[in-house]
Amino acid sequence: MNIQECINQTQWQLDTPQLDLSKDITGAYAGDLLSWVMGRGNAGDAWITVQVHVNVLAVAVLREFSCVIIADNAVVTEEFIKKASDEGLVIIESKMPTYETAVKLHELGI
Amino acid sequence: MYYDLHIHSCLSPCADDDMTPNNICNMAVIKGLDVIAITDHNSCLNLPAFDVCAKNLGLRLIYGCELQTIEEVHVLGLFQTLAEAMSMQEWIDEKLKKVEFDPAYFGNELRMNAQDEVISQEKNLLIISLDASIEETIDAVHEHGGAAVLAHAAGRHNSICVQLGFIPEDLKYDAIEVKKEEDMTYIKKIHPWITDDNTLWLMDSDAHRLIDISEQVHAINEEKFRKLWSRNL
Repeated sequence: MNIQECINQTQWQLDTPQLDLSKDITGAYAGDLLSWVMGRGNAGDAWITVQVHVNVLAVAVLREFSCVIIADNAVVTEEFIKKASDEGLVIIESKMPTYETAVKLHELGI
Repeated sequence: MYYDLHIHSCLSPCADDDMTPNNICNMAVIKGLDVIAITDHNSCLNLPAFDVCAKNLGLRLIYGCELQTIEEVHVLGLFQTLAEAMSMQEWIDEKLKKVEFDPAYFGNELRMNAQDEVISQEKNLLIISLDASIEETIDAVHEHGGAAVLAHAAGRHNSICVQLGFIPEDLKYDAIEVKKEEDMTYIKKIHPWITDDNTLWLMDSDAHRLIDISEQVHAINEEKFRKLWSRNL
């Protein structure tokens, strides 16, 4: 499933609409300790987190994640979205807790 | 000048109840320290008592707190005057969520006077995150005249390296605190822009018990020490 299809099915909020949404989501990873995530997860994963520090973007690019899904209404800043756009990294806000977000992805076959 | 700029008093729930103003100040004198900082979790409220005790003993005191940012990173705010620290307390009060707690589980949060008498037990838990990012927290420390130190920066718990993976290149901290030499080497290795020339390193005890307060092992000269606050000059 690609990012566009995921958005269509979930109605989650897309913060970077100008970016390419045809990238495939090939798996998912959830975690908030960036040092932990840096050594885990696979390329193509959607990363679910409540961390909204800009270091998240560096870690997501490093791991070649397909997108970052901000869970549980963590407040995303304009600077965060702008830097993500510059990096070509898709940001989605699920507005639901991490567990429910992961379950939803699972239901979609991810 | 022998220093220990990271000591918790009995106001921190995780510190021993005998970390009282007189016990800590006298222990610092016995150990031959020249300057100490009291850095309780998200609070400056025991500093007025420490101010009196330290002055009575002729011990140099830095007025501090250990702030927990929304990313769960620990940052020391170090102030040269009690007034600056107490104005920082107003910022903390705005940013700290009110979470009542059970002292039997978390430990006591004791506010004391200069005679080591308990004034009150704090109602709200101090070891939670403030509603402020690490950048906002460092800015607030600077706005109140303080120096911001990345606490136990390569430690396993609540350190910037664990919570955020690495130290952002544009972060406006004034010093990096490490527990041991290897942590310094590690930080320099993963951050090529951090060097001995452009970084003030501190090694403190992070004492929660009297026995853990530093001996005469870490020294700093006056000029280097004052540089901590040079960003505010």
